[in-house]
Amino acid sequence: MITFDQVSHTYPESAQPTLDRVSFSLSEGDLCLVVGPTGSGKSTLLGAINGLVPHFTGGRFSGQIRVDGRDTTKHRPRELADLVGYVGQDPVRGFVTDTVEDEIAYGMEQLGTAPMVMRKRVEETLDLLGIAELRRRPLTELSGGQQQRVAIAAVLAAQPKVLVLDEPTSALDATAAADVLSAITTLVHEVGLTVVLAEHRLERVMQAADSMLWLPGDGSVRHGGVAELLAQANITPPLAALAQVLGWPTVPLSVREARRRATGIQIRPRPETPTSHTELAVGATDLQVRFGEIKAVHGVSLELFAGTITAVLGRNGAGKSSLLWALQGALTCGGEIEVAGQDPRRLNANQARRLVALVPQTAADLLYLPTVEAECGQADVESEASPGTTAALLTRLGMQLPPDRDPRDLSEGQRLALVLAIQLAAGPKVLLLDEPTRGLDYQAKAELHQILDQFASNGTAILISTHDVEFAAATSQNLLLMADGEIVAAGPTADLLTSSAAYSPQMSKVFSPVKVLTVADVAAGLWDPRP
Amino acid sequence: MTSYLGTVPDSHRQRVSLALASTIIVGATSFAWPLFLAPSSGMKPEQAVWVFALVLPMVLATILAELTSGRMDVKALAMLGVLAAFGTVLRPLSAGTAGFELIFFLIILAGRVYGPSFGFALGAITLFTSALITSGVGPWLPYQMISAGFVGLFAGLLPKASGKAELALLASYGMLSAFAYGWFMDFAFWPFGIGNSTQLSFDPAASPLTNLHRFVLYNLATSMGWNLGRALTNAALIALLGTPLLRLLRRSARKAQLAGPAIAASTSE
Amino acid sequence: MVLERTQTLKSLHPLAWWAWAIGIGIAVNGTTNPLLLALIALALVWVVLLRRSSAPWARSVRAYLILGGFVIAMRVFFQIVIGAKTGDTILFALPEIPLPDWAAGIRLGGPITAEALAYTINDALRLAVLLLCLGAANALANPRQALRSMPAALYEASAAVVVALSVAPQLIESGQRVLKARRTRGTNTKGLRSLASVILPVMADSIERSMSLAAGMEARGFARTRGLPVRGSLTLMISSSMLATLGAFVLLSTDFRLLAVGCLVIGLVGAGFGLRLAGKRLAVTRYRQQPWRVRDTVVSGFGLLAAVVVLTIGGLNPNDLSASLLQWLDPQALFPSTDPLTWPQLSVPMLLVVGLVAAPLAVTGKDRIDVTESVRNDTMVRSLRPKAEILVTS
Repeated sequence: MITFDQVSHTYPESAQPTLDRVSFSLSEGDLCLVVGPTGSGKSTLLGAINGLVPHFTGGRFSGQIRVDGRDTTKHRPRELADLVGYVGQDPVRGFVTDTVEDEIAYGMEQLGTAPMVMRKRVEETLDLLGIAELRRRPLTELSGGQQQRVAIAAVLAAQPKVLVLDEPTSALDATAAADVLSAITTLVHEVGLTVVLAEHRLERVMQAADSMLWLPGDGSVRHGGVAELLAQANITPPLAALAQVLGWPTVPLSVREARRRATGIQIRPRPETPTSHTELAVGATDLQVRFGEIKAVHGVSLELFAGTITAVLGRNGAGKSSLLWALQGALTCGGEIEVAGQDPRRLNANQARRLVALVPQTAADLLYLPTVEAECGQADVESEASPGTTAALLTRLGMQLPPDRDPRDLSEGQRLALVLAIQLAAGPKVLLLDEPTRGLDYQAKAELHQILDQFASNGTAILISTHDVEFAAATSQNLLLMADGEIVAAGPTADLLTSSAAYSPQMSKVFSPVKVLTVADVAAGLWDPRP
Repeated sequence: MTSYLGTVPDSHRQRVSLALASTIIVGATSFAWPLFLAPSSGMKPEQAVWVFALVLPMVLATILAELTSGRMDVKALAMLGVLAAFGTVLRPLSAGTAGFELIFFLIILAGRVYGPSFGFALGAITLFTSALITSGVGPWLPYQMISAGFVGLFAGLLPKASGKAELALLASYGMLSAFAYGWFMDFAFWPFGIGNSTQLSFDPAASPLTNLHRFVLYNLATSMGWNLGRALTNAALIALLGTPLLRLLRRSARKAQLAGPAIAASTSE
Repeated sequence: MVLERTQTLKSLHPLAWWAWAIGIGIAVNGTTNPLLLALIALALVWVVLLRRSSAPWARSVRAYLILGGFVIAMRVFFQIVIGAKTGDTILFALPEIPLPDWAAGIRLGGPITAEALAYTINDALRLAVLLLCLGAANALANPRQALRSMPAALYEASAAVVVALSVAPQLIESGQRVLKARRTRGTNTKGLRSLASVILPVMADSIERSMSLAAGMEARGFARTRGLPVRGSLTLMISSSMLATLGAFVLLSTDFRLLAVGCLVIGLVGAGFGLRLAGKRLAVTRYRQQPWRVRDTVVSGFGLLAAVVVLTIGGLNPNDLSASLLQWLDPQALFPSTDPLTWPQLSVPMLLVVGLVAAPLAVTGKDRIDVTESVRNDTMVRSLRPKAEILVTS
């Protein structure tokens, strides 16, 4: 169905080829996973399938790609639209119209489909993706999972043979991601589509995948079975890491398989971390945030301790963000907040940020100057810190960013680090991070984990809102579970996560009822001399 | 100067120039009707506005079809839509506050970076979208579209300059175009603004010069504040935001242009 | 037709509403009788109130009413201050201030006569009702549906408008987000510099957005069936619009009416034909395009008929009519004299015109939830508007 023959591509203004003499072929009806660290060329590979690379992006391209016999160098992406459905990373940004129905019909309008046929196919597609009740809704009012399903429906309506998806679940919470991924696997099994999927939540799709493309990052691509490739890849979903620790030759593709293989392996539970209640950094009681009629946060009380990392887990829209913004003092809210004896809501913005720093979900919102250097300088002024403070912080975060780089050209991880440095320049006692793991790969997440640990050990109280259970399990000591604007559970991470069905990390599922959260826990439980 | 239309063959460019030139002629005629309306024609001044409100949409359709169809690639179209959305959001923000109009600086900067055709299309489409979304459709709309289009068109034709000189050039153009926009609109809608029975009204029987004299007085008395406010807003915004916005727009223009050669190379087999 | 039995399509074609409103506008333009104008205004408001949907644009008629009131007030003010002096019935007198010579000998103030005021009010009322016609069309016609009826030659341009309409509310959200985030960096940036710190991230974000949008459009086959423009279409369109302009010029500056109207009509028809020709290169289809039905023709006909009635009566010469016919039709009643002052009269044909204004009520049903919910987003943009000022005639 899809054949790459000696394909190379180099972006303009870049010396290194992103893809270097890549050859492989995928057969019809396959579900193929594309994995690799950020910047390894996943998006380039996917874009090449429908000709966006190089027709749209430019750059030097050589080799040949055939999709169902059509040569992509000779056909522009629009001429492949009836053959390849392409869904980009952020569906909202690719939407052309503003209602579900119009968006689904859009592609067919372009192809000149007859109006009667169009009506019929819109209905079929709505049903196929289970979004019929959303047909008239404005796209911007949908939840992330619904938007993603609409985006998939919109390309499917043109009845392509190949579906290309670029990280469709990166912005979704666990439940919505599961919905989208199950919709995709249904399409493979029942519609017979060939699906190429870049996805970092491998744990959910790897059991359904027929093959895998691994991009190590040097421009090469390796094609093979999921279990074999994962064992060698530098991409380490928890089950792959477990396989490495336990010395399994292939990676178990599901929790069920891992449990079977792990029977008989004795490990000790994670040692109880003594809850050393240090200094109280933030105390909030009965917080209330309202947006019109909606109660975003309702009667939330919490305590954050210096040197402790706390995570807030919950669905999208559970009130996590609002809680963070309220604690920073940037939202009008009811209730009491006390940070080091002060209420951030009563302080002006400058004083508030010296008390509580917040890194917003879209970090780029804070950046407006042309270079990294200028941003750092401006942050020094804003924090009334000595010149160079922010730049030094950036180095301490382990990021060597070229000072003259435009912040918009940085990767997600680099940009996050820059914003972290800018916000930390004010020397706050409390750090709040809103969905920091969005768009980060396994390695960047690990780096962020280290950075946070470092600041926590210096006595900063950290609160992270996230829907990434594995990240929360690895990073936090305490956990808050939010639903519908309320805190439904609070306590040590280990206790809460191992007892939860929806929010338990994979290791906990594999070794249940033994209390372990991460692969590191498993490793520690194995290597430690038995008592 | 970078232009989205930079790679089109000469014949296309000639077509576009021809279409733009005819638009300028028709536009100028329709705005200048008080200079040639004769009492012998039996037409009333208000009717003149309607007659041209009938002709202008055709001209606009001609020029917009020519500018966008086939010539503008999909990146330029998406950029056109997004920038028009920006203007659409800025326009109601600024309406009603004595000439503090936020849309023109954007049209001017975009016209400067992406060239006269894009500038014209952006001006016209911004006003159109804004009218659709705020229910402002009426005979004034084609006039507004065409004059906002001219603001962008001439911004694209300004001479070469860079750095501070460019900023000064654009800011002065911003002031000038603000006055011109106000004058042209007021001139065409003169009888609507003040009626026909005052000493400052348009008088079909009077000579063009007398009418011009009257118009100047009328305009000074009624719209000076608006025009001045609009001019100062334009100049201030260009002075303040000009440099970073020009950089942003040029950066995107460069990125969009980079795609050009690869496409040409890979499809020319 | 099974296909048409859906909510969206129950409403009248937007262009039918526009044709109706323009017809009434022409009729309104042909009279200064305040009684007739007031009745037409009432009928217009009545139709709008009964037939408008729940969409945000449906509320626009109020703004047009305010605007009409404003127009009348301004006209009266100018008449009082710098009005030309006619008539003898002096109501009151203001001190008269002659302006210097360079100001064309204008005199401010002076005696205010009932004749001049009556003339001004009648004339201003005509403009106010004309604005109300436009307001009614804006309130009743679904602009998004109208956008779908754009000629194919303008497909790309209307695609840009569609993009703008759907991106605008997203930009507002993005602006609000950036504004909120700004606070967390402190308030050391003040004044216009802080404006930059909000506009620039939103702008940069929207430019990046335009790139992913373009990629999405390209990948989904945007304007795929597009060929090169049909040869000659541009020449036809340009020469037609020049001809129409010439027609308009001749119409206004000479008394060669026939020639002028001929040029205008040929020009407009030619341009329309050129657009069709230019649109041929495109074979895109439209999803659920609203069909033009008998009802739409009927409603357009009402407007057209109203215009024809007023123009025909206005064109009659009173001397050619018999006494009884004159009693019936009375062309002069359309323009009641204000010098000497007379009380305006209504005639039977005038009531017919008012009836035609209200006639759509008889053939259309009440729009229920006829609008797609997307238009809620438009409210975001509209709510930015501080006042009900729609016309930017300044």
